[in-house]
Amino acid sequence: MDIILGIRVADGTIIATSKAATRGISILKDTDDKTRVLNKHNLVAYTGESGDTVQFAEYVQANIQLYSMRENDIELSPKATASFVRNQLATSIRSRKPYQVNVLIGGYDTKSNTPSLNWIDYLGTQVELPYGAHGYAAFYANSLLDKHYKKNMDVEQGLALLKMCLKELETRMPIDFKGVYVKVVDKDGIRSID
Amino acid sequence: MNATVASEYSSEIHSVPIEHRFNPYSDNGGTVLGIAGEDFAVLAGDTRQVEGYSIQSRYQPKVFNVGDDIVMTANGFAADGAALIDRFKNQLQWYKFDHGGKKLNIKSAARYIQHLLYGKRFFPYYVSTLIAGLDEEGKGAVYSYDPVGSYEREQCRAGGAAASLIMPFLDNQVNFKNQYEPGSDGKKKRELRYLTLDEVLELVRDAFSSATERHIQVGDGLEILIVTKEGVRTEYFDLKRD
Amino acid sequence: MNSIAQRFSHSSTSNVLNEINQAQTEFAGTPQLELAPTIQLPPISQPTDFLRAHTDDASNPDCKIKIAHGTTTLAFRFQGGIIVAVDSRATQGNWIASQTVNKVIRINPFLLGTMAGGAADCQYWETWLGTQCRLHELREKERISVAAASKILGNLVYEYKGMGLSMGTMVCGYTKKEGPTIYYVDSDGSRLKGDLFCVGSGQTFAYGVLDSEYKWDLTVEEALYLGKRSILAATHRDAYSGGSVNLYHVTENGWIYHGNHNVGDIFWDIKAQEGSFNNVEG
Repeated sequence: MDIILGIRVADGTIIATSKAATRGISILKDTDDKTRVLNKHNLVAYTGESGDTVQFAEYVQANIQLYSMRENDIELSPKATASFVRNQLATSIRSRKPYQVNVLIGGYDTKSNTPSLNWIDYLGTQVELPYGAHGYAAFYANSLLDKHYKKNMDVEQGLALLKMCLKELETRMPIDFKGVYVKVVDKDGIRSID
Repeated sequence: MNATVASEYSSEIHSVPIEHRFNPYSDNGGTVLGIAGEDFAVLAGDTRQVEGYSIQSRYQPKVFNVGDDIVMTANGFAADGAALIDRFKNQLQWYKFDHGGKKLNIKSAARYIQHLLYGKRFFPYYVSTLIAGLDEEGKGAVYSYDPVGSYEREQCRAGGAAASLIMPFLDNQVNFKNQYEPGSDGKKKRELRYLTLDEVLELVRDAFSSATERHIQVGDGLEILIVTKEGVRTEYFDLKRD
Repeated sequence: MNSIAQRFSHSSTSNVLNEINQAQTEFAGTPQLELAPTIQLPPISQPTDFLRAHTDDASNPDCKIKIAHGTTTLAFRFQGGIIVAVDSRATQGNWIASQTVNKVIRINPFLLGTMAGGAADCQYWETWLGTQCRLHELREKERISVAAASKILGNLVYEYKGMGLSMGTMVCGYTKKEGPTIYYVDSDGSRLKGDLFCVGSGQTFAYGVLDSEYKWDLTVEEALYLGKRSILAATHRDAYSGGSVNLYHVTENGWIYHGNHNVGDIFWDIKAQEGSFNNVEG
């Protein structure tokens, strides 16, 4: 079971995704990046049915980039991005073969200087949250974050909180998820954290 | 479950809907076998056709000369087999019309049959297909297929109902599998060599008479199509009719 | 009525030609140049359930059509290029349909594709991939990258997702731009780039040997042996794998075939030489 976690802090959003790509009882890859860059200030992290995940993420990525090309380099805001992705999933769930993909979108609105984290599932449920997760990780991380998350934390404090979550997941998750890739979305764009 | 008053008609009340499933397949038994020699190839099949435990025919040939010195059989569900062979023959005619009567070599025929079979990947022909003939160098060739078109060129192959009885026999007698030089203490394998046409015909007859003894769907007659550089000829032998 | 009369009157040669052309398009099926295949579906509402009922021997052991399954294949990158090793057994239920299957498809002199899952699915779509790669070459005047080739296959199988295709394949190749590259592509639409993959029913057994001895700095000779030895391990423990080992080495000058190694022969040699397989007496 893939792990995807997101924490919004005062000046940015932190996204963490597990590195393992598992098929059946084998881990086929331990350097799998389950994120796609949608534009300079929007990052999508995904989990769900294999095949669907990458196809869906690359589809929305292409369409969001196409939008910017057509509309005079206007960058879609995090809110608009999340609405677009939600709409795609909501359309898909009513089709013959729906995408079974859950996503987190970490974004930073450069107009209002606000970070955001959007949680969207394959049914088309969308919520803007201070922190969130999909899959089994949510069962451990949510309670921990409920207890320790504080308003107006900075990125450093957010990363410390993320470390706590990962420590818990490493102790309690029955399957090794091979660690996580951590990325931060803030006013300067998207960057990876070691 | 709905409450009912006990009556003669209670059995007519269905608490669950009657299920109808689309089942367009049947198994008409029979078995086939192909062997390639150095400068010839044979394709043989018994001539019995069955449905369930009833024998429909004692002489219904299922190995055909489809033209261009290629012989073909599609054993399993007879209707699918006939349809596949008809389609191949038909396409071969069109190929000739389109290309000034050019001869289709067996390699191309083999690839084309893959496309015919895979074209029904989601509604397969229920058949095991074999073709035999001579390759571009004049060497004997047998190609075998699974129902959806995966194929391979081989020295020999049995297909159909008694494939599991005949194939191990062929492995041993054609490819000399598990045969060792006498006195070599199982160290030196028996050297491979091409069998002569007479040897092959003997093997085919033995394979079919043995299969007839142990398989209910095999018997009545054996028809062997032989491809040499002279063309295709047919031989027929009786099999037990019980 | 007039148009029908006209169609069937042979007043001029061009009409006759038209007639022939029409007959051809009607009866000759798809025109020869049309490369995209059309696949017929059963005339019912749920074609996928139909196919499963008739072909899936795992969920329905006495189904009539048994499709060839079961395999061990591996490929890994190392200092000297890529090693590809596969077994050669095809099974239909408990019946060994063949011990001489060619599970490496030579897409072109620089690209190899491996075959696990449905034999026909892999054989058909990987040869199809070969034609797509050739068309790319003709159009772009440049050899296709491994990334692009694997993506063509990945997108194709994704179109058929849920229809019952079954394939687990590795597209292996060398290009100037990418160097030696392996992509894993399977029928649920996954496409992963990586250094080392084992695919098929015997994958775990192959991983067991391969992971324990694998190093980037392996010599070509060591790497070829490790590939062969890992497949041998899988044929020994996985009943659905066996026959013989086919070995390939992919270099910057294209792939090199390193022969067919019969399990019956190499097992005893390797056992004696390594002092391994001590579960076996003799």
